Amino acid sequence: MRYILFLLLSLNLFAVDASLKIETDVEHRTRIAVEDGSTVVNNTFFNILLSDLKISGHFLADGKHYRGEVTSSFISPSLKSKEYVLKYALAQGSGTKLDARLIQASSGKEVFKKRYTIPSLKKAPFLAHKLVSDVNDVLKYPSISWINRYVVFARYTAAKQSEIILADYSFNYQKVIIRGGLNLFPKWADAKQQSFYYTSYAGVVPTLYKLNIYSGSKRKIASSEGMIVCSDVKRNGSKILVTMAPNAQADIYEMSASGGGKRRVTSFNGIDVNGKYVDDENRIVFISNRLGYANVFKKSISGSGVSQVVYHGRNNNAVDAFGSKIVYSSRESHNSFGNNTFNLYLTASNRSGTRPLTTTGTNQFPHFSTDGSVIQYIKHRGGSSSIGYINLKSKQSLLFPLSGKKIQSLDW
Amino acid sequence: MMKKMLVATATLSLVLFTGCSQKEATPSGAGTHNISDASAITGDTVSINESGSAASGNSSADGFASVYFDFGIYTVSSNMETKIRKNVSLANNTSQKIKIEGNCDEFGTDEYNYALGLKRAKAVKDALVSNGVNASRVVIVSFGESNPVCSSPSDSCYAKNRRVDLRLIK
Repeated sequence: MRYILFLLLSLNLFAVDASLKIETDVEHRTRIAVEDGSTVVNNTFFNILLSDLKISGHFLADGKHYRGEVTSSFISPSLKSKEYVLKYALAQGSGTKLDARLIQASSGKEVFKKRYTIPSLKKAPFLAHKLVSDVNDVLKYPSISWINRYVVFARYTAAKQSEIILADYSFNYQKVIIRGGLNLFPKWADAKQQSFYYTSYAGVVPTLYKLNIYSGSKRKIASSEGMIVCSDVKRNGSKILVTMAPNAQADIYEMSASGGGKRRVTSFNGIDVNGKYVDDENRIVFISNRLGYANVFKKSISGSGVSQVVYHGRNNNAVDAFGSKIVYSSRESHNSFGNNTFNLYLTASNRSGTRPLTTTGTNQFPHFSTDGSVIQYIKHRGGSSSIGYINLKSKQSLLFPLSGKKIQSLDW
Repeated sequence: MMKKMLVATATLSLVLFTGCSQKEATPSGAGTHNISDASAITGDTVSINESGSAASGNSSADGFASVYFDFGIYTVSSNMETKIRKNVSLANNTSQKIKIEGNCDEFGTDEYNYALGLKRAKAVKDALVSNGVNASRVVIVSFGESNPVCSSPSDSCYAKNRRVDLRLIK
């Protein structure tokens, strides 16, 4: 009997020691160092890795740019205090290649090894995002797949001129998709980011198109005198919310993804715009000036009743929703125009608790990530602009500088 | 006593083993040399040039006069009546269609500004129609803040951008 007891106890001990055991407390952030084994050092790539680790909310990254062979499992004594060391080597040949290994610092054991290849160095930021996303998954943290997504945005280039651009979330990668003309309000049409909707001003009246970014095929969805904007897309991509003005009156409509089955959702002799699906997607939140200033309201798609969502601020002119979560931009200063402060607030569709997310500068264009855990926004402060991210759970935030022309709208 | 210890230890072992099997990661790719699964970002995206399709002009044309608005306002003020009368006269002396373009200053965000420009264009259209211009000859379009005539950070500059332009559709 004593031997059986000994055997069971030994098995338990062996189970702990025999294999590399990764148990992740999502509240616990993993201490990690990043070691660069590239022949040619690329500081931008290293900094993107650090940013990715930070905004994930799951890592406490050492900011020092360590150097070391990616193939070696030697861990410097100074890094033994970390939990993991992420070794990588970025190289250029016929394409761009990234070799990466995740090593447990205390034991030197390899937890993860992978080679990433991509044709162009320009897309190297996506390799960094994919690596951190994979390391995050290996360590069994909640997914951060939003880090791999494209951002699509429109920016003005001159009067009545704009371009629509694809970017990674950090804006280190940028590629013009539509150059010239006036093309605005890009909005992803599907979860896989194969196509986006946008408004073209090439004709006499504004027209909503859907463009496949890989094939270039373009399909007309609808047109409207005055204005037409795709404000939101159902999660399954089947229906869209559109602000349009068929009777010279801007209201929110719902229609199928192909433009059929148009249904008027709001009817008000003022301004109703920016419809976003909320809760179970049978309701919307939207911006309206029905109280004499821009504010956030809510209604069901089929019903007529409208309820006010926000009870503070002098101009709450942008909103986004994810499930029951709502983020909006609010102007609290008195100036009608000039150097105003716009801050972002997080609330719920049932108005259960509101908290500020920003406290300085002009913060606008808030968007939820696809899992609702992170908010993207544009920040203007002191004459400079940035693309910002706030991780709602870890409260980590990031700002990437933006240069040059004014962004008109964006989607993630 | 030994039997009780054995049962307790066996139970503990079962719990611990179960716990481990749920939490233990399979080291993804450990010891292997994986090829990228980042195919979603390797696909080559298109680039389209629509330079030839630009909407033209950032002021009124064909003799029409631009109509200006106060901040955040979309009703035609009384001091714009002279311009409205001039525009009505021109509109009634041509059979061509007229495009009325609403514009805003840079304040306000994306959709709201376009809706505000639309309300301004609609106000000018209503003023023309109430003075005898056939509504079917008028097309309104909002250009939001995309069509400024002035970009300096001053109140007088912002005021120039809060306007409605009129032109003939050719």
